[in-house]
Amino acid sequence: MPFVLSRVDDRLIHGQVVIGWGRPLGVQRILLIDDDVAANDWEQDLYRMAVPEGVTIEFAGTAAAAARLGAWQADARRSMLLTGSVPSLVRLYAADPVALHRINLGGLHHRPGRTERLPYLYLTPDEYHSLVELELLGADITAQDVPSAVPVGLGALA
Amino acid sequence: MNGAGRAFLRLLSVQGSWNYERMQGIGMGFAAEPLLDDLRTTEPGRYPEAVVRSAEFFNANPYLAGLALGASARAEYDAVPGEQIVRLRAALAGPLGALGDSLFWAGILPALSGLALAALALGAGWWVVALFVLAFNAVRLATASWALSTGLASGMRVGGALGASKLPRAATRSGAAAAFAVGVGTPMAAAWLLHPFGARGVASAVLIAGAGLGLARWSGARFTATRFGLLALGITLLLRLVTA
Amino acid sequence: MTGADGFTLLLLLLWGALAGIDLVSVPQAMFSRPLVAGTVAGALLGDVGAGLRVGAVLELFALDVLPVGAVRYPDYGAAAVGAAAIAAGSPWELGLGVAVGIGLLLSAVGGWSLLALRRLNADAVGRHAAALRSGEPSVIRRLHLASIARDVVRSLLLAGLALGVAGVTLRWVRLDRGTAAALTIAAVGAAAASALGGAARGAGTGSRRRWLAAGGAVGTVLGVLVWGLL
Repeated sequence: MPFVLSRVDDRLIHGQVVIGWGRPLGVQRILLIDDDVAANDWEQDLYRMAVPEGVTIEFAGTAAAAARLGAWQADARRSMLLTGSVPSLVRLYAADPVALHRINLGGLHHRPGRTERLPYLYLTPDEYHSLVELELLGADITAQDVPSAVPVGLGALA
Repeated sequence: MNGAGRAFLRLLSVQGSWNYERMQGIGMGFAAEPLLDDLRTTEPGRYPEAVVRSAEFFNANPYLAGLALGASARAEYDAVPGEQIVRLRAALAGPLGALGDSLFWAGILPALSGLALAALALGAGWWVVALFVLAFNAVRLATASWALSTGLASGMRVGGALGASKLPRAATRSGAAAAFAVGVGTPMAAAWLLHPFGARGVASAVLIAGAGLGLARWSGARFTATRFGLLALGITLLLRLVTA
Repeated sequence: MTGADGFTLLLLLLWGALAGIDLVSVPQAMFSRPLVAGTVAGALLGDVGAGLRVGAVLELFALDVLPVGAVRYPDYGAAAVGAAAIAAGSPWELGLGVAVGIGLLLSAVGGWSLLALRRLNADAVGRHAAALRSGEPSVIRRLHLASIARDVVRSLLLAGLALGVAGVTLRWVRLDRGTAAALTIAAVGAAAASALGGAARGAGTGSRRRWLAAGGAVGTVLGVLVWGLL
């Protein structure tokens, strides 16, 4: 089935993801897409501990994930796609624009070069322009950290 | 390494400088200061960069933050390369947040809260509230103390220690306990509070509660409790004014 | 609160401020829970019963919100103190509804003040970015303690506001018995919906939802018993 949520969040799996979104959406599988984590066994062990019983987690680097989007959607489980960076998102979108039609910006945090767009969302000018381009290609992008927050469109993040 | 006691006390304020730029980072650095004190003399070259690392961006459940604090401090003494410590801290934050939030905010806290409300409805006095505070803090302090000492003892091997602990399982189970306790406590507290108003009072309250649950379902999660409460009170007031 | 002396008011102000600092800064020992903040405030005013009930209703509202991660949430501590001050000393059946309404408004103001505090803290971190790169722990310590001091000021202001609003409410708001009772009933109904709605959302699907349903069934039976015994 289609992904129940495609989210960009540089903290990857944390409370908002597992409790805030995972429970109400009934998420059964988290697809964690991050090149560093995919290459690191002990980090994967940590993230496995973070998901509750009954939720499975799969790791992949961006390139591998782009090739597996179709297979993941053929699976009947309710899946959340999770990536920590805008470039990774752009790559995944290019691989399957339909699968990533709706994109949730959940949290990108302060880093040199980024400016505050929302309290939980800091973007560099490049990251912002990449997102605008995705929207021009047809993606539906909103920022929303938790379900109880009001979603904010890209236009308000300029 | 000395200073574990002082670090533990400082950890009680780990969110004291919470901000959107570093979240708990400064609070972690504040708690790390006593732990890193000995490094100043044993490894003066490494000390300043260790201090800088200790206050970088971090966010986890406050009661479990000690696990990351202790592990990174231990790793500094073990002469682990700096960039590995940075990755350890980053990789620990999310899982410690998910586990701790499940255990405390979505588990023990609502479970104890629901039980306290049920006890009040059964006629218990203010001492139930004292018991609620004591019980929560007993679990919280025991967990936080375990977290710091486990982190300090394990360093880079902290993931294994976390996996071998009861924490992941407790986080899962406490959610069921919370759901049950809030389910028990809510109707009991309502019965206790509505008793003076008789059957008509109960019927009105059930109607309002039903409307609230329906509205929450229809509007998604965006209709917050505060807004619905104020709406319900406002409409009641208006109806009274109109019919008076 | 109408007959409270200056010393009691001072204690209420300090308790409200402590509840505010407790929520996020230190020691996070649940003094900020409305059930705790309201009960102690009621006790200070010589009416524990009213404090308990106001605290219980606001606690049900607070169960809607899980303070997960970095999310914004209402601050119920000082709000519960203000609400308890409104309800204390008069029949709780009539004071509860108004008290809870004011408490909800105050909790929203409290949540907003928390956002402002976090921005001020971020500004301070930004201003000291260069010093933070020096590796000098005193910079971190000063930043941290200054942030806590900011929260102390925030919490004192919020507690002062709560008591002020409570005083104004007691002085100016006059309701007939029927309206006051209707508001109390509405407050309890809305509070129950909040707690159950929050629990349902937090439980999600699967076994937790069944535990919630089982709890609700047990609670309803016990609630009927409580009703009969009272």
